[in-house]
Amino acid sequence: MDFSLIGANIAKLLQQYWQVFLLEGVVNTLKLTVIAVFFGVVLGTFVAMCKMCRFKLARFFITVYIEAIRGTPILLQLYIFYFVLPQLLPVLKLSPFMWVALALCINSSAYVSEIIRAGIQAVDIGQTEAARSLGMSGRQAMARIVLPQAVRNILPALGNEFIMMLKETSLASTFFLGDLMTSYLLVGGATYLRFEALIIVGAIYLLLTYPLSRVVNAFERKMAKDGAD
Amino acid sequence: MMKMKKAAALALCLALFTLLLAGCGGAAGQSGSQTGSSGQPAEDVLTVATSPDFAPTAFVDTSKEGQEQYVGFDMALARYIAEQMGKTLVIQPMSFDACTTAVSMGTVDMAISGFAWREDRAENFNLSNEYSPSDDPNLDRQVIITLKAKEGQFTAAADFAGVKVGAQTASLQESLCREQLPDCELTIIGDLGTGLLQLKNGDFECMAVSYPQAEVFMANDPDIALAGFDFAVEDSGTVVVMRKGADELTAQVNEILAKAADEGLMGGWYAEAVELAKSATASEVVFDEEGNEAG
Repeated sequence: MDFSLIGANIAKLLQQYWQVFLLEGVVNTLKLTVIAVFFGVVLGTFVAMCKMCRFKLARFFITVYIEAIRGTPILLQLYIFYFVLPQLLPVLKLSPFMWVALALCINSSAYVSEIIRAGIQAVDIGQTEAARSLGMSGRQAMARIVLPQAVRNILPALGNEFIMMLKETSLASTFFLGDLMTSYLLVGGATYLRFEALIIVGAIYLLLTYPLSRVVNAFERKMAKDGAD
Repeated sequence: MMKMKKAAALALCLALFTLLLAGCGGAAGQSGSQTGSSGQPAEDVLTVATSPDFAPTAFVDTSKEGQEQYVGFDMALARYIAEQMGKTLVIQPMSFDACTTAVSMGTVDMAISGFAWREDRAENFNLSNEYSPSDDPNLDRQVIITLKAKEGQFTAAADFAGVKVGAQTASLQESLCREQLPDCELTIIGDLGTGLLQLKNGDFECMAVSYPQAEVFMANDPDIALAGFDFAVEDSGTVVVMRKGADELTAQVNEILAKAADEGLMGGWYAEAVELAKSATASEVVFDEEGNEAG
């Protein structure tokens, strides 16, 4: 293939379509990611609590939930949320964007719940035992002793989840929801300069994820250092 | 007591969740590319699924907002159908293979996205009569494209023995290749743009496309040329895809299609779509000459 024109084509596409990539694509990608991870954390905390609770039945259902979501492709989940759920729940008048956002939240919640559970369970059991032996209630031990230590394990992993989700929102382009990958489909489909559009979108994804992963790394180091003190 | 507290917390959590999500989604819906709701189609609304990454059939004019941005020949037809039915048109963009899923699920009333008539489609869906932009015989041609260096080197089916040929998944071209080029090595591609990249990369030597598609490719890329082979096709107009059993709707659409053809509207829509597609192409720097020639 002829690479000599690519530079000129990319410049041309950027000049003509920069707002499609940046205003539409980046904004929608970030919007989907923030919604998915934020509610993923809220819901995931709850899911993790259920997973660790005393009631066997609740644990069973939550395990099924987590396994079903982690064990199926996210694209399949998007199809279910986009096509099947609106039919089953006609009362919920959500736009396609919201259905897909909801699917991403649910997906994120399953992963986040495992991150949180692992983070909490990684705190040595001796910490809880010590707290309890000092007369703290189970709740106090969890809130004052275990959770502050678990946060150190959880936060960097959540940062990684954010980066993962940022990339996974590209699947929303199946329904042209305006994310970066949709920008590629639209610009590529109108101009047939697909390769050039791909390069642009790829560069933007990298520009988004690289600083994020640096931040997560720095954070991880800081957490490790604080823990050693 | 504990249980009640837990249940209350759960209910609160879920309520908050849906509320906030609805809030965010609502804001997004206002600003963004989506306006339709994906529930059951309402009475006065005509929902149409399309894959808007396929100039000049259906694509997006990025200078416009909301429903206005979907342009192309099929979109002009969709607007006309909605207008004739006295309904408001809501176009729901999705990938090509999701379009038929949307129809069979009842998420949309119909799919208009350059669907060719195919037997398996006719079995599973109600298809409208075929429509085509004009009487120009070129529009019905199904051809093979290749790199400029091999232009005109494949003229008979026998020339394709052992040659890798790309065709879009579930497309008319795929079935044509299977029927008429039995000795070729068929490579399935997801979308034509990617296919074009693969062709230029040398992943396969030839690619089966419709002639109007080939024309756009050739206008935009001097490396692409016709291989010299035409598939034998009877009538390759495109159809509107509707849910199996929606006979009333199908009859109505057929009537509207006939009316549009009688009034000679389709040629105009097509010319307009091609013009738009050309202006969308980043043509000045690279493709100026070809673009002008084709125009």
